Amino acid sequence: MSTIVAVMVAIPACLAGTNKESLGDGVGGTNSVKRRGLRDRSLKRNLTGGVYNLDSEEAGKTTANFLLTPLRSPLTIARYGMASGSARRGGARLANLLHGYVNSSSSSSATSASWSQTGIAAGELAPFGARMASNQIVRNRMKSVKSIQKITKAMKMVAASKLRGVQGKTEDSRGLWQPFTALLGDAPGADAKKKIILTISSDKGLCGGINSTSVKFSKALMRLTAASGSDNQASYVVIGEKGKAQLQRDSRKHIKMFVTETQKLPINFSLASALADEIMKTVEFDAIHLVYNKFQSVVSFLPTVATILSPETLAAGSEVGKLGDLDSYEFEGAETKAAVLQNLSEFQFASVLYNAMLENSCSEMGARMSAMDNSAKNASDMLEKLTLSYNRSRQAQITTELIEIISGAAALEASS
Amino acid sequence: MSAPQGAQAVAQVAKGAAPYWRNAGMTYLAYVNACSAHVRNCLKEPFKSQSASREQIHYKFTEWDNGVPSKPVLRSSNPEE
Repeated sequence: MSTIVAVMVAIPACLAGTNKESLGDGVGGTNSVKRRGLRDRSLKRNLTGGVYNLDSEEAGKTTANFLLTPLRSPLTIARYGMASGSARRGGARLANLLHGYVNSSSSSSATSASWSQTGIAAGELAPFGARMASNQIVRNRMKSVKSIQKITKAMKMVAASKLRGVQGKTEDSRGLWQPFTALLGDAPGADAKKKIILTISSDKGLCGGINSTSVKFSKALMRLTAASGSDNQASYVVIGEKGKAQLQRDSRKHIKMFVTETQKLPINFSLASALADEIMKTVEFDAIHLVYNKFQSVVSFLPTVATILSPETLAAGSEVGKLGDLDSYEFEGAETKAAVLQNLSEFQFASVLYNAMLENSCSEMGARMSAMDNSAKNASDMLEKLTLSYNRSRQAQITTELIEIISGAAALEASS
Repeated sequence: MSAPQGAQAVAQVAKGAAPYWRNAGMTYLAYVNACSAHVRNCLKEPFKSQSASREQIHYKFTEWDNGVPSKPVLRSSNPEE
């Protein structure tokens, strides 16, 4: 007996396929003999199918012989029913466990208790005796995980190809602001009364934490300004939907301007200068802090603050440092030092903004790539686990049913 | 015309020239972009159409006042889309 069971556990999946439902139906203890006969036929069908698929013929034939013996006494029928009942309950417990795993619902002890009372286990969607239901749930879940995985993979590919396009542009644009920094230096701690914190974020999500980092840095700058003196004030200018969504929660009073849809067309210098003009026209400032994610590699981004001073601030500070050398030059025409500095400041703003927007969109693509890569990996892990549990429960079901059959047959044998 | 007079004339023209666009309300950036648009217009094909995309802009901006957004304004090279 035990050897047969061992062989049966290893039966390939084909046996499980077709006749499971007919096996499951009508196995209650109160079955009429007529139904019993019907059931016996379906058993035979099932088993013959099994024998053909079985390699170890001897074991298969033995089982078949057991089953082909007809039912004899009412006592046997009763025993048969008891045996199958207990076996089914075993299967139900497995199903409950699986169900708890899938929906992360709780307390299998409670469900099994109610199972014995009501006939339908709590949390079980299927009626009494239908054993495939929980497997169906897992299969649906597997299907949805698979399709999500497909989507994330596609998103990763799209981000990768976009990144390639924008990365070259970004690297080229670095040449625009580097001379400015060489000439003017970067003055993040510049003494300015009115500050703009220009937060650059993305319009779309699913790109890791890059938007949160810009927002976090912007808020820190805001606090820093507030702490530096009571007459100092800062306001936000936000580029990108996601940064706005985070900032408007607790600092909407400080938002002065919000720009979106900047990435609908490829980012170019015309766009950056139009935006810079718009900002300079709308908001008064002494200094602008641009907060963005500088692109380092596909997996690393540096949250960066670039500072641009207004022409007046620039002129006030120009006596010291390299700008002081401007005095030793002669200006063409009527260009005064102030006019030159104004032009310079405007151009610097546009260049730095251009670079910052490109860097940020580059970082966005990189972050999206790695985020989507991770989620595709997670999906395949999940799929693996689900497949394992699915197969395991299916096998358990098969085993249960085989035990049912065999014990029934053994009971017949014993009574004959 | 003597040399100093000529220099003076040049200086006067230059004096007038520099702030023209500024007087007209243009910022340096608007001036730069207008100039570069003209340069792009002088290009021959296929470079002309290649560089045309560099003038295309599209963005939407909203002014906020004391936590209340005003109506968004769309600035686009092809607003009909």
